[in-house]
Amino acid sequence: MGEQIAARIAGLTHRYGKLTALDDVALEIPAGCMVGLIGPDGVGKSTLLGLISGVRKLQSGTLQVLGHDMGSVRERSALGARIAYMPQGLGRNLYPTLSVRENLDFFGRLFGQSAREREARIAMLLEATGLAPFPDRPAGQLSGGMKQKLGLCAALIHDPELLILDEPTTGVDPLSRRQFWDLIDRLRGENGRMSVLVATAYMEETERFDWLAAMNDGKIIATGAPAEIRVQSGAATLEAAFIRLLPGAADEAGVELRPRAARPDAVPAIVAEGLTKRFGDFTAVDHVSFTIPEGEIFGFLGSNGCGKSTTMKMLTGLLEPSSGRSELFGEPLKSSDMTARQRIGYMSQGFSLYGELTVRQNLDLHARLYAVPPARRAARVAEVLAEFDLGEVADKMPESLPLGIRQRLQLAVALIHEPPILILDEPTSGVDPLARDAFWRKLISLSRDRGVTIFISTHFMNEAERCDRISLMHAGRVLEVGAPAEIVTRRGATSLEAAFIACLEGELPPEEAASPPLATMGAPETRPPSALARALGRAWAYSTRETRELLRDPIRLFFALMGPVILLLTMGFGISFDVDRITFAVNDQDRTPESRALIEGFSSIPQFARQEDFSGPDALSRRMERGTPTLALEIPEGFGRDLHRGTEPPEVSLWLDGSMPFRAETAEGYASGVLALLESEITRGNDSAAGLTFTPRFLFNQAFRSADAMVPSMLMLILMLIPAIMSAVSVVREKEAGTMANFHASPVRRIEFLIGKQLPYLALSWIAFWVLIGLALTVFGLSITGSLPVLALAGLLYVTATTAFGLFLSAFTRTQVSAVFATAVIAVIPTVNFSGLIVPVSILGDSARIFGEAFPAAWFQPVTVGVFLKGFGAADVARPLAILCAFAVGYVTLAAVALRKQER
Amino acid sequence: MLRSLRNIGNLTLKELRAIRGDAVMLVLIAYVFTAAVWLVSQAGSTEVRDLTVAVVDDDRSQLSARLIDAIRPPLFRAPDLLTPEAAQRAQIAGKEVLVVSIPPDLEKDLRAGRGGAVMVLVDATAVAFAGNGTSYVTQALAEAASDYLAPGTGAESPLNVVVRNRFNPNLSATWFTAVMQIINNVTILMLILSGASLLRERERGTIEHVLVMPVHPHEVVLSKVFANGGVILIASVLSLVFVVEGAMGVPIAGSLPLYVAGAAIYVVAVASLGLMMASYTRNMGQYGLLVIPVMILMLLLSGGITPMESMPQWLQILMRTVSPTPHFVAFAQAVLYRGAGLWLVVAELAAMAAMAAVALALVLRRFRKLLS
Repeated sequence: MGEQIAARIAGLTHRYGKLTALDDVALEIPAGCMVGLIGPDGVGKSTLLGLISGVRKLQSGTLQVLGHDMGSVRERSALGARIAYMPQGLGRNLYPTLSVRENLDFFGRLFGQSAREREARIAMLLEATGLAPFPDRPAGQLSGGMKQKLGLCAALIHDPELLILDEPTTGVDPLSRRQFWDLIDRLRGENGRMSVLVATAYMEETERFDWLAAMNDGKIIATGAPAEIRVQSGAATLEAAFIRLLPGAADEAGVELRPRAARPDAVPAIVAEGLTKRFGDFTAVDHVSFTIPEGEIFGFLGSNGCGKSTTMKMLTGLLEPSSGRSELFGEPLKSSDMTARQRIGYMSQGFSLYGELTVRQNLDLHARLYAVPPARRAARVAEVLAEFDLGEVADKMPESLPLGIRQRLQLAVALIHEPPILILDEPTSGVDPLARDAFWRKLISLSRDRGVTIFISTHFMNEAERCDRISLMHAGRVLEVGAPAEIVTRRGATSLEAAFIACLEGELPPEEAASPPLATMGAPETRPPSALARALGRAWAYSTRETRELLRDPIRLFFALMGPVILLLTMGFGISFDVDRITFAVNDQDRTPESRALIEGFSSIPQFARQEDFSGPDALSRRMERGTPTLALEIPEGFGRDLHRGTEPPEVSLWLDGSMPFRAETAEGYASGVLALLESEITRGNDSAAGLTFTPRFLFNQAFRSADAMVPSMLMLILMLIPAIMSAVSVVREKEAGTMANFHASPVRRIEFLIGKQLPYLALSWIAFWVLIGLALTVFGLSITGSLPVLALAGLLYVTATTAFGLFLSAFTRTQVSAVFATAVIAVIPTVNFSGLIVPVSILGDSARIFGEAFPAAWFQPVTVGVFLKGFGAADVARPLAILCAFAVGYVTLAAVALRKQER
Repeated sequence: MLRSLRNIGNLTLKELRAIRGDAVMLVLIAYVFTAAVWLVSQAGSTEVRDLTVAVVDDDRSQLSARLIDAIRPPLFRAPDLLTPEAAQRAQIAGKEVLVVSIPPDLEKDLRAGRGGAVMVLVDATAVAFAGNGTSYVTQALAEAASDYLAPGTGAESPLNVVVRNRFNPNLSATWFTAVMQIINNVTILMLILSGASLLRERERGTIEHVLVMPVHPHEVVLSKVFANGGVILIASVLSLVFVVEGAMGVPIAGSLPLYVAGAAIYVVAVASLGLMMASYTRNMGQYGLLVIPVMILMLLLSGGITPMESMPQWLQILMRTVSPTPHFVAFAQAVLYRGAGLWLVVAELAAMAAMAAVALALVLRRFRKLLS
């Protein structure tokens, strides 16, 4: 290669709306070595890495990576497979329901590797990372450290020249962290030309890097080898050096743990004995015991998912332990115990206060819920605001504040009722060193000056060293408890970190701790497949992966397959325009054969169901108010007599319940039919008009059954709604989960991505189509008078169009919620109103008709109805089928245009 | 007890602030209870209007001209005069709902006393219009025929039938759909709002934060029901009074306080149902997939779109058992249209209250499990 510079950056500026993330950055990153990018949260590290990896779109400035200009689409795609990018977040770009092997197989396919090549590389990478014993374990069930190793395997599957890692070890235990870096070192030893660019928040880790760039506020503030930076700032450690580099940091005092006045006779603040929590088969916390005296700072260490949070939740009363017990100040804790809760201040992992309330409102709400006396409430809120320096932001929304301030607010909230115990679950995760130090000064003052007992979990070793005592948890069990110095001595280690690593190594099964020698890199070279084959391979990679995920997600699968069935069954039975069994009641004051003949005319047809007679207007009113009968008939005295006399026609009164107009109209229609028949019998042969009869003939649906006509139309509605929602959600959930990064970072094209995602839903929807046809034929007793193959083809084209419609909508929605509701609303309005479901398209106004015809539903409905009821064959539906095809192609094209290959 | 009430009050206030902070939701609520109610009820879905009719006139007499004349707006469009073949094609293509076929020599035959038959061919795939359309067109044609053939005899019909439509004299579909639209909106918004209020807290982790405090789960659940239910209840009643009764002029027969009381119970029942479903899902995406089919079923099978009695018996029983909506629709129709008093609707109120209680009990049982 001979390239000495991995990335050359000049005048790089990047903005998100008004916020400037990168401000005129210029930097040359050396090739062939380990480069660290350090700096607090939110200073632009991730943005810079995103730009270098090509995942983000360049806004202004120049950026050359491995000698290619990232501003040019052609050069960037030529570079594609030479860069690997692992985004921030534990396993965020992995697919949790897929196994280790399936995950890697997917990444291999994205880079167009043959089956043999994939197999060889996966075996080699699993062996190297120690994941080989667990190829079939779902990624979601791996520990944090294993997830990161799997993420690394995924990044290395195509043997990149530049490996970009964004905070790869955040939230991972010390042993896994060390294993991770050893792994990177070994890989680099094998493949010397590989450059590694890492962003990290752990300053201790950066000591092992070759070259560092420190960032603050969108700018590079220092570059050079770690030793150079230390010397420049005259600090002993990089962490201290970094703090000195920051503007305004000089006057910050260090963190000093003052000795605690021990009171051995006092009741311990927290006692846990044999605490155990099982979730089904899984034991999250396994017989954990400890005693924490009043006023102590007790640190809780361990990797993600080792049971720290579960233990803390049991101590707060949030979770009921499966067995074991805990005591606060000598009193047993029950989850329903409200007085015990008054004693605890709790800060959960991540920010969890109300974003819709201001800082002051949050404090006030908590003061009220903790029953701070009204007289004292305002004063207490003011006190806390002052104590935690929140006065300036008191009326701001927490969302708008930097992480460090939000975390201070959370501590303030936890302390609003002055609890003697604080339980803090990883309060400093993601917070920069400066803010962490300030936070710890606060904690120490609480412990030493006010005797508050603090139970805190952390990932940072330097924080662990500030605790009075610490415990290390692994896989639900406590491995070590003691003062930091004591543990170091006991393990005969040089540092706390080394002590913990030694402690963890003793626990791990040998195969996980072993580091086998690395197999030779470089898989057998095969003839590269054609461009088309590669494109199809990438689309197929997405299809198979999506199918696997779908099959393992019960909620989505249920929605896709059972949703249509439930909808058809209930709507088919429920939406009926057959008005049967209209209730009617009679008040026959005449009681002659003629009046009985009239009543008989009503009761003899199935549309009317006779109820108990009524006696007069008042009784009728009461009954009609209750809802029955729908129709009432009053025959006056003398009806029979008047009818025969023929001088004055007798009056018959009909009352109809008009509260449901359709039913009333239909009832009136039937009633006038009955009466007309009677009239014509009476007046037979009197005038010439009477000889005229009107014979209605119901075409296409002789029985005039509602279901016969409605069920085919409902296919149209259901196969629009469900497939569109499913495919829209499938894309949007990748945006939410973060796996969209794989699309941004791999050579897969937009159209390949979309078609790959569409295929499984298309297949599933077509299966649903056949299930619906089966239901129509069996449960609803319909028969197909036209051509079934034509219907099958129309169904296929229609679900292709509707799934493509979902893909198109997914480009405009960012969350699954909005995808679901927006798609439902947009799909339902034209389908229900303007596509012939209830109102035939022919009687719609012009604008409504055109609106309806702008969606595929209006073209599919005449086909289903035609094939079921009107005997349609291929010739009758050629035009609608062609139009459905055009919709399918059109929507996919629009979706491809709207989808972004790079993030902004 | 007092502290419990205070907690509910404080949490309700918090929920109300959350609703106020969600501008999109507020706009949506305002829209569906004003413009959307008006728009949908104007669309008038099943009223016979503008029906397409073709006439095949093989008689070409004075009589047939009178018959064609009788097919008029607003019920029908001006008829197309077609050949039998063209009429058949048009009907297959779905362009004509009705075809009136007048046979040759109809007038001559009638005058000679030989009788005659006019055929009405109906596209029965348009089920909502075919039946009523046929009876209207037959009526119109019969009147025209008897006016022409036997002028003055119309009054001498042997029966004098007086039809009175109670509760809705003109059978205006607007009256019906406007109120049903409000009920549908209440159902939809209540499900979305209540589910979102729980899942938002779950996704953010604030729910466990609240439960660490000296607050009982039932206080959290009730505050959500009261806040979200209160907003929707007030919006729906305002919509009924100002949009439906005020702007659209639909008369409300019964007692408004009784309706408000029933609506309050319904709102609690639906909110509890939403919370219950939300407690079985992990995020809003899943909730959306679950709630959309449920919502469609609750709306379509409530008696608010097609009559309950047209459904099979088992489905009526099923829906009345699992969904509060049929009870509320029956209640609202009884109170608003028929002016029914409390004693007539007490059974529906009791059914809704029972459902609310069951759903709330289930939510509370699920609540602790949410955290694990």
